[in-house]
Amino acid sequence: MKKKPYKRKPGDFEIRILKKGRVVMIAADEVLLDIASSIGTKEKSNIERKQNGKRRKTGKQQRKDSSKP
Amino acid sequence: MKPEDLKDIHRRIKAAKAVMDNCSICPRDCRVNRNKGKTGYCRIDSRLRCFREMLGYNEEAELSPSHQIYFAGCNLSCEFCTVREWNEQPDAAYTANFDYLVERIKVRKSQGAKTVNLLGGEPAVNIAGILKLLGRLDSSIKVVWNSNMYYGPFVPEMLEGLVDIYLADLKCGNDECARKILGTDNYLRIVRGNIVKASSVGDLIVRHIIMPGHLDCCLEPTLRWLADTLPQAKLSLKTDYVPPIGAKYAPQGYTDKEDLQTALKYVRKFRLNII
Repeated sequence: MKKKPYKRKPGDFEIRILKKGRVVMIAADEVLLDIASSIGTKEKSNIERKQNGKRRKTGKQQRKDSSKP
Repeated sequence: MKPEDLKDIHRRIKAAKAVMDNCSICPRDCRVNRNKGKTGYCRIDSRLRCFREMLGYNEEAELSPSHQIYFAGCNLSCEFCTVREWNEQPDAAYTANFDYLVERIKVRKSQGAKTVNLLGGEPAVNIAGILKLLGRLDSSIKVVWNSNMYYGPFVPEMLEGLVDIYLADLKCGNDECARKILGTDNYLRIVRGNIVKASSVGDLIVRHIIMPGHLDCCLEPTLRWLADTLPQAKLSLKTDYVPPIGAKYAPQGYTDKEDLQTALKYVRKFRLNII
């Protein structure tokens, strides 16, 4: 990594990922907003998939539990 | 636009162009001949330069979605400016094509834009080009003047009747912080004066960005002044401060929940009309 911070030039874009996982887009243009929205959608579907997976696991576990004598 | 209004706007464009012969549009009073390609503090000559146009959803709810048109060049040097690169090198932006911009405004309206939002940089330093653009707009379009309000008396004269909503930045609560962070003297007198003027000629939203560590010196005095001077004005508090890398004076942290709670405490104390 360079010691000096990168100085933006016209046309560059800057995204900062903070320690707590917060993503900051500097002066987002339409392209960045599209990226953010697609990340948001992807993230949402990932969360849903994980939740569904948990639910499925729970269902499977329940069936397993109910089959026990 | 009615023919008499059109005649008036041509007069205003002519006047705005003439001022650039010896530019005194803003308090920097550079007195350079921008019509001959010379540049002063704002680094732009007489040409209108646009570096971005987009449908923005991040403005105040009553303005959004807003068709944001960004013009290059600014008369302040805010350390935390998020488009600083365009103000430092405004000639990297395209010279505005008025036919194209008028067309984009129509397209954005059809896409749901409630307002046309003129911002930058600082629109005031581009007053001649902006008047030319406004002269070509359908009067049904709501125009937002999204400005740092740091300009001379010439600008309000030129804008009167052409702007629907003044979205006025009031960044610092004292001249010392303004001198260090925004790079200007006499900030309060000029900006507050222009905000008061704007309140009498159009709808006004005063916007203040909460800077971490500047609650006592900037936030509180700003809200107190607003309560004393324009108690009915709409106030918009922004929490999206982005610390600049390597800045000398601008705070380095991000605004947190505690800052917001403090700000809201002042809002309640001063009974402000927050939106």
